[in-house]
Amino acid sequence: MRSLRLRSSLALVVGVAVIALTGGRSLRAQAAAAGDSMSFYKALDLEAAGKYKEAAPLFRAALHTAAGVNALLGLERAYAELGQSDSLLAPLDTLIASNPGEETYRTVQLRTLQSLGRDADLRRAFDAWVRSAPQSSAPYRQYAQLLLQKNQAVAADSIVRLGEKALGTAKDMQLELAQARAAQGEWVESAKAWRDALKTADYLVQAAAYALAPTPSASRQQVREIFMAMPIDVSSRRALSELEMSWGSPGDGWNALKALPPDSLAADAWSEFAKRAESEDRWTLARQALESALRWKRTPELSLRAATAAVNAGDPGAALRLAPLSDAHGDSALIARSYLPLHARALAALGRPGEAERLLAAYDRFLTPGAHNTLVRTIAWGWVRTGDMTRARAALAATGAAGDSSDAAGWLALYEGNMKTARGLLRGGTESTPELALALGLIARFKADSAPAIGKAFLTLARGDSTLAAAQFVDAGNAIPAVRSLLLSTAARLYAATGNSARAVALWTRILDQDRDTPEAPQAELEWARFLRKQGDVTAATTHLEHLILTYPSSALVPQARRELELVKSAIPPSP
Amino acid sequence: MTALIRKLSLSRRGFIAVVLAAALAHPLVAQRLLVPMDDGQQNHLKAYGLTYNAIKAGASAEWLLNYRGGSFLLADTPEIRRQAGLAGITIEPVDNGKLGSIRAEIASSNMEAVPLEKAPKIAVYRPPDELPWDDAVTLALNYAGIEYTSIYDDEVERGDLSKYDWLHLHHEDFTGQLNKFYLSYRDVPWFIDLLQKNTATAKRLGFSNMPALKKDVADKIRDFVQRGGFLFAMCGATETLELALAAKNVDIAQSFIDGTPMDPDADRKMDWSRTLAFRDAHLEQSPFVNSMSDIDGHQVNVPGRRQPLGTFTLFNFSAKFDPVNSMLVQDHRAVINDFFGVTTSFNKAVLKPGVSVLASEEGAPWVKYIHGDYGKGTWTYYGGHDPEDPQHSIGNPPTDLSLFKNSPGYRLILNNVLFPAAKKKPLKT
Repeated sequence: MRSLRLRSSLALVVGVAVIALTGGRSLRAQAAAAGDSMSFYKALDLEAAGKYKEAAPLFRAALHTAAGVNALLGLERAYAELGQSDSLLAPLDTLIASNPGEETYRTVQLRTLQSLGRDADLRRAFDAWVRSAPQSSAPYRQYAQLLLQKNQAVAADSIVRLGEKALGTAKDMQLELAQARAAQGEWVESAKAWRDALKTADYLVQAAAYALAPTPSASRQQVREIFMAMPIDVSSRRALSELEMSWGSPGDGWNALKALPPDSLAADAWSEFAKRAESEDRWTLARQALESALRWKRTPELSLRAATAAVNAGDPGAALRLAPLSDAHGDSALIARSYLPLHARALAALGRPGEAERLLAAYDRFLTPGAHNTLVRTIAWGWVRTGDMTRARAALAATGAAGDSSDAAGWLALYEGNMKTARGLLRGGTESTPELALALGLIARFKADSAPAIGKAFLTLARGDSTLAAAQFVDAGNAIPAVRSLLLSTAARLYAATGNSARAVALWTRILDQDRDTPEAPQAELEWARFLRKQGDVTAATTHLEHLILTYPSSALVPQARRELELVKSAIPPSP
Repeated sequence: MTALIRKLSLSRRGFIAVVLAAALAHPLVAQRLLVPMDDGQQNHLKAYGLTYNAIKAGASAEWLLNYRGGSFLLADTPEIRRQAGLAGITIEPVDNGKLGSIRAEIASSNMEAVPLEKAPKIAVYRPPDELPWDDAVTLALNYAGIEYTSIYDDEVERGDLSKYDWLHLHHEDFTGQLNKFYLSYRDVPWFIDLLQKNTATAKRLGFSNMPALKKDVADKIRDFVQRGGFLFAMCGATETLELALAAKNVDIAQSFIDGTPMDPDADRKMDWSRTLAFRDAHLEQSPFVNSMSDIDGHQVNVPGRRQPLGTFTLFNFSAKFDPVNSMLVQDHRAVINDFFGVTTSFNKAVLKPGVSVLASEEGAPWVKYIHGDYGKGTWTYYGGHDPEDPQHSIGNPPTDLSLFKNSPGYRLILNNVLFPAAKKKPLKT
C-alpha cells in the first residue's frame, strides 16, 4: 500500500513537471492541460461532497491526462461507492494497453476483479502482468495481498513461492510471506519472514506485532528466539517488545530492548517503550527505559520523565539524582514550574520536608497561589512522615482556608484523634487509597468526636511502622468496644502482612469469638482461610470457608469464599 | 490427583453417612427439594454435582425433563441443603401439595419425571501427563465435584474398562498420529515427550507402532460400548475413534509417525461396518494438511477450508416417548454459540442411518451433537473443544468454570454424565 501511494505521488509530480515543460510551446495546449486539471480537481471536490455520480465522468475525462493515475484511483473510489466497479474494467484495458508497465493500472485491475469476484479473470490478469514485467516482484506481491485479504493464505503462500522461483529471491516479498504464514498458524515461519521484512521496512513494526499477537503460548519462545537472535536488529526488537506487551509480559518487552546498542534509533525505541509503560503505571520499567535513553542523550524532558517514574516507583532519592535543579541552567521560572513539584514530593517522601520548604521559599515568587498551596500540602505530608505534627499543622495553616479543608488536613485531624473534623474532610476527599477506605470505614462506624488512640495508630501506620501500628490498633480496639472488631481486624491484617501469623491468628480467633455478629467476623474467617490455604492446610481452610458460607450466607464475602473453596478443592484451575 | 481423589472419597463416605442418618433420624421440613434448572438457578453446573453425589449417597432423585429447564427433585436432607448452600446452588423446598401440582403439570405436558437410581462409575481416558491443552469434560467434572478415574492405554489393554459404566475420551487421536501436531510442533518439548512416551508404550504392550496400539484401544472401547457401556467423546476423539475402527486393516497413518506413507488406496479399503456413527467418509491424503477426513464440517486447521462459527440449536424431543434423547438436550437455552475444536462438527453426509441428531446449525451441512446405540450400550459425540472458549488454542490457560457456572454448552456435557443414572424405561415408540 505504501509503495502504491509513493508511486501515485510520483506520478502526480511527474505529471506537474510535464505540464510545466509544455507551457511555453502552445497556449492552446496549456489551456487544454489546465482544463484537464480543472476536471480532476472538480471531481475531487464532488467526491468529497459525496456526489459520486457527478464525480465519475470528470475522473473518467481526466484518465488520459497527466493526472491520469490519480484520476483512475478517484474513479475506482467513485465507482465503488456507486456499486459500478465493473465499469472500470474497460477503461483499465485501454490504459494498460497504452502503458503496460504502470503498476497502479495493474494493481487497480487486480483489485477490481477481486471485488467483482471474478477469480478466473483475476488470475489471468495476474499472469498477464507477470508476462509484461517478468523481473518485477510487484505482480506477486499485489496478488498475494489480495489473496490474503480473502483469507486464502495457502494460495497467497503459493504465489509468493511462484515469485521466488521466477525471480530467484523472495526478498521483496517477505511481508506477504510473513502474513501468509501467520494466517496459516505457522508462527515460527512467519516470525522468520517478519524478521527479514523488518530489516528493510522498519515501518512494519506494528504490523508484525499485530500479525504475531495470536501466537499460542507453546510457540512464543521460538518467536522470541527469532527476534532476539544476533545480530541485533532494532526493528525486530521493537516488534518483539510490542508483542511481549500484548502477551502481558511487559518485563520481557523491556528485555527485548535493553540490550540495543545506544544510538538515536535505540533511544527512540526506549522512549516509546517508556511512554507505554507510563500509560500502564509500570513505573519501574518506565524508569529503566528512560534511564537508558538518558545515557544516550540527556534532555530535560527525558530527565523529568525518568525522575517522575522513579518517584512513582517508590525511589524518591533517585528522582533527585535524575533531574537535578542544575539541568534547568538557572532558569528560575522553569525550576518553579517543572522541577520544584517533583523535588518537593521526593523530599517529602524521603522525610526531608525542611529542604523542601527552603526550596519553596527560594522559588516562591515564580509560583501561582494555587501551585504554592499544592506544594505546601505536599510538604505538610513530609512533616507528617517525620512525626512533626505541629509543623505539618503550621504548614497547612499558612495556606489559609484551602489548606484547612484539604485531604491532608483531614488526615492530620485523624492523626490527632479529632474524629469530628476528620469525618468532615476525609469524606469529601479526592484520594483513593486502602488507607482512606479503612479510615472512612472507621469514621462511618465510630460516632464519637474524639479518639486519640485511633489517631495514634493511624499516624504510626503513616510513618511506616506496621508492627507498632498493629499493636496500637489492638490497644485502641481494647479501649473502644464500638469499633473493636474493625480495629482488631486491621491489626490482624497488618500482622499477617508483616509475617507475624501467630498474632494474626489470635486476633482472628478473638473476632470470631467476641464479635461474631459484626461484618469483620466473615472477613476475619476469609482472611484466616486464605492464610491457611497458603500454608497448605487444606482441611482447616475448608472448615473455615464452609463455616463462613453457611454462617453468613448474606455476607458480600460469600462469592469470594466460594471461589476460595473451589481453589482449595482444585475444582477450578489456579489463577495464572 | 490421587490425593484429591482420596480426599473426595473420604468426603463421600461422610456424605453418605450424614444423608442416611438424616433420612432416618431427622424430621424434614419439606418432602423434597427442587433444584430448578431454568434461569432461576444460580449455578447450573454444580447442580449436576449435587444431584450426582446425592444419588451416590443413596438419596432419592428424579430428573424432571423439560420442567423448568430440566430440574432435579431430590430428597430433603440437611446434608443436601448444606452442600447446596456451600456451592451456591438454588434449591426450593417442595411440600406434598406443591409436589402434586408439579406432577400434574408434568403429566399434562411434554415433560417426564425420570427416577435417577445409580451414580455411574466414571472413567476418563487421558494421558497421565499434563498436556498443553485442557479438556472440557474433566474441567466440568472437577468443577461440579463429580469423582472420576483417569485411565490410559495400559489400563484399557489390561481390561479395566469393565470396571466403569461411563467413559469419556480425552482429546486422543486414535489414528495414532498425535493430531498431526508434527506439522507445527515437532521441535517443541511437550510434543517430543508425547511422541516418545506413546511410542514406548506401544512397544511395551507388544505393538509395532503407535497407530497399531491406538487401533486396538479403539476396538476395546467399541467392545466396552457393545457390552453396555456409555461412551462420551468430544473434539478430535470422535472422528479419530471412528477412523481407527474403520481402518482396522489398512494403514492410514502418515510416514512421520510409522515410517510408511498412508496406503494410497486407503479410502477404498476402509471398513465402515465397524464404526459407531459414520460411514463413507474420505480420508485426508496429504501429510501436510492438518485434517483427518471430511467428517468434520469446519476444518479449523486448514485455512482454505475453515468455516466460520455460527450457533447450534438443540432439538426438542418428546420427553415421554424419547426420554434418553430428551435427557441429553436438557438446557435452559435452545440456541448455543458454536465453538471450534480439532473436530468441530459432523457432516450430515457421513452419518449412519439411525444416528440421532441432538443439535445442528440451521442451514449448515453439518451437525454438532449426535447420539446412538451400539450393542447394549450408547455413544454420544459432541463436536468442539471448549464451549466457553470458542477459539481455544494449544497453550491457552484452562477455562475457569466459576466464571461460567450457568454455561448452556457445558450443561450438555453434564447431561451425559447423569443420564446413565436414569432408570431404564422401554421406549414407547
